[in-house]
Amino acid sequence: MKLMKSLLVASSLLALSATAQAADKPLYGVLMKTLANPFWGAMEQGVKAGADAAGVEYYLQAVESDQAAEPQLNTCNTMLERKPAVMITAAINSNILLPCLKRANEMNIPVVDLDNNLDPEVTKAAGVNIAFHIGSDNMAAGAQGAEFLVSKIGKDAKGPVLVIEGLSGNITGKKRADGFANKLKELAPGLEVVASLPGDWDRGKAANITNDILTKHPDLVAIFAANDGMALGAVETVFAADKGAQVTIIGVDGNSDAVKSIKEGRLTASVAQLPYLVGKQAVESVKKVVEGGKVDSPVFVPTLVLTKDVIEGGKEPMMEFVK
Amino acid sequence: MSLLVVKGVTKRFGAVQVLNGVDLTVESGTVTGLVGDNGAGKSTLMKTITGLYAVDEGRVIFADRDVIGQGPGARRSLGIEMIYQDLALAKQQDVAANIFLGREPLRRPFGFFPPIVDTAKMDIEAQKMIDRLGARIPSINRPVGLFSGGQQQTVAIARALTFNPKLVIMDEPTAALAVREVESVLKLIRQLKAEGIAVILISHRLNDVMEVTDRIVVLRQGRIEADLVTRKTQMKEVVEYIVGAH
Amino acid sequence: MTSHAASIAERWRTLQFHFDTRLHLRLESLIVLFILVIAMSVLSPYFLSVSNILNILLATSTIGILAIGATLILSSNGLDLSVGSVLGFSGVAGAYLVAIVELPWPFAIFGALAAGAFAGSINGFLITRTRIPAFIVTLGMLGIARGFGLILAPNGGAIYGLPPEIVFLGQGRPLGIPAPVIILALAAVCAHYLLAYSRFGRHTLAMGDSEAAARATGINVERQRWILYTLSGLTAGLAGLVFMARVNAGDPTAGLNYELTAITAAIIGGTSLFGGKGSILGTMVGALIMGVLQNGLNLLAVPSFWQQVAIGMVLILAVYIDQLQTSKEKKA
Repeated sequence: MKLMKSLLVASSLLALSATAQAADKPLYGVLMKTLANPFWGAMEQGVKAGADAAGVEYYLQAVESDQAAEPQLNTCNTMLERKPAVMITAAINSNILLPCLKRANEMNIPVVDLDNNLDPEVTKAAGVNIAFHIGSDNMAAGAQGAEFLVSKIGKDAKGPVLVIEGLSGNITGKKRADGFANKLKELAPGLEVVASLPGDWDRGKAANITNDILTKHPDLVAIFAANDGMALGAVETVFAADKGAQVTIIGVDGNSDAVKSIKEGRLTASVAQLPYLVGKQAVESVKKVVEGGKVDSPVFVPTLVLTKDVIEGGKEPMMEFVK
Repeated sequence: MSLLVVKGVTKRFGAVQVLNGVDLTVESGTVTGLVGDNGAGKSTLMKTITGLYAVDEGRVIFADRDVIGQGPGARRSLGIEMIYQDLALAKQQDVAANIFLGREPLRRPFGFFPPIVDTAKMDIEAQKMIDRLGARIPSINRPVGLFSGGQQQTVAIARALTFNPKLVIMDEPTAALAVREVESVLKLIRQLKAEGIAVILISHRLNDVMEVTDRIVVLRQGRIEADLVTRKTQMKEVVEYIVGAH
Repeated sequence: MTSHAASIAERWRTLQFHFDTRLHLRLESLIVLFILVIAMSVLSPYFLSVSNILNILLATSTIGILAIGATLILSSNGLDLSVGSVLGFSGVAGAYLVAIVELPWPFAIFGALAAGAFAGSINGFLITRTRIPAFIVTLGMLGIARGFGLILAPNGGAIYGLPPEIVFLGQGRPLGIPAPVIILALAAVCAHYLLAYSRFGRHTLAMGDSEAAARATGINVERQRWILYTLSGLTAGLAGLVFMARVNAGDPTAGLNYELTAITAAIIGGTSLFGGKGSILGTMVGALIMGVLQNGLNLLAVPSFWQQVAIGMVLILAVYIDQLQTSKEKKA
């Protein structure tokens, strides 16, 4: 009997606190892919900073991996139940969230595409209205990677280059890979992309791909991976094959693991996104939309090439936003 | 015309020759004891009769029909039933389900839906059969795995008797039973005989065999070693044949 | 035990018995679902709304359909690890026929179901004709089906551009109820009829309980098994169709690890891992328990890692309660 009473009291307190949360400040819904990658952790910090600055509350959810597409759709639907003022989503792929985002449109909830995961052509074709897309310019990020490579080994360099793409069908990965390959061809025609394979954002897969390509092209000159996780997988394989000095490895994201590896002299460089900035600006910009204003889409947040010099120099002002 | 004729049956499992050319004839209304040492091939021989095993060579003729190509289900329809040593019951199903396993009565709800199992009919018939056997079972709707060994065997016997068999094979039916239960099994065998049903009794308990059978067949190393008339022989002779000392 | 407690225990057993024999549903699972629903309603004001309940049903539909197949297989003491991959493969096959070969829209349905049934029938054939254990055969099919899905889809990416009739199957709401939920309900009713009431269903359970008993009574175990694995593939194909319609794409990576979730739902609902005991209604309750947990924890913004912990614990608890029950019955 005592157990029953205390359970009752506990649950009513919880219920009260839950309702108290939904009180005055506007509530923003934020749906990420997974919190397992430090990149998204930094973005959440930015969201928090942005929310504090804008004076809004937010609730953030994620799913167990960045391939759990259907669970993300289910979570999105559930989040709409709380009728947020805004839905900020980082979709696992361009298609999966469309039914949920359409419902958001019907409920007059503005939708923000966080980190350019939604292909604007696909959303337009499906009749889903996105308030704005915000993220790094992935094409430009890939191009920055190519520029760095050429600056390091010269525009007359010759040799095979490996590109490791992201998840098949994901627009972010595609843009980075295309941005890199196009710029590389323009700047250094002697460097040939001998393989462009999907690493599915997975460290292990990237390691295997690197292994296979190194076997086929032992004189490999450089590897560009569409994110740091995969780049670090490639790093392990390259150093295990004792070719650390020969191969330049470039990743994208600039997360804390990558920074550590660059400091240790393993990963050569990473085109750092500034997820903190992305998260912060997403919240600040969408507030404008909620208040009736308009934001030009897409919103590009700059990227920064991180190398050992840049990190240790400490002079670069944007380093403040690298978490 | 003999009810069951087994001619020249051989059966191999891999490299092991279990049955080496068995000839056996069984008449209706008789009780035949089948004895032999472990590994002599008694259970295997019976399973070739019920259709659980296919024969490598030989013929099995039941009620003048060649049953070689037919499976256990078809042979049960012809009237061959067996109570297996391990009972072969579905322990999580209830008594009625076990008795009617493989031949459940059907009915069509509202006349035209796809047929479903008629559980009401099964329950009535199962209760009737259990009562006829004079057994004390807690409930026909409890899973049989909860019953005692003797009760489970009653269910196995009920399954064998419900569809008017012509031949009933019992494989070690008294091995795990209490004295009173053994007596009821022997009484049942006599009753079956009186009804004109043929019974083959496999048993290690030679006392039971001597008491209730008309003839005793000894199987040794996959072959019929001896075919004795029960009242003309004694246990000592039977044992000698079993161990091959004759 | 006092006589008061004994009579309560007796009444409880009788209630369980009625639920078990009439509805073929384990009473404990239903009570757990009930408790969860009440708890979530108390903890979150958003839980008990019509749209949220429909959300839960919609979220459960793909896994629910898979779990129907899992129930049939587990009841017969089988194991099908390939259903997640067959789901993905079937979705791609259906999408391929209408989006790339450009056949009329019913071919998406036909293609998905046929692909699933075909994969299942191969499983069944290998399992019944060779001595390779079901674990190995279906594990192999897991890789084969996944691979073929990736081969069929151009560049291993998803196939887009499905006809609106198919999209309706996944996103439409006839009479306000999401179409996948209706499909799940229909499939569950048919499967429940099959397993709980038909001769085929009886034989399935008997075969899982004791293969010796099934053979001895003349049940054609090989034929039964082959049909069951084909049915399992068919339900995976149906789930693949629903998933494809829901996300409007034939995605070869769909259904990753879904086979384990389907088995979990079946076991939480009272189906035995070792065969002989299973109920479609029970599995639906099991799937709902998982769906309510996930939805409720989502509403409370609990990180998804904790959801996985919670589901793992519920699974172990469900089997433990079942064992307690069985040993109590044995003592009685």
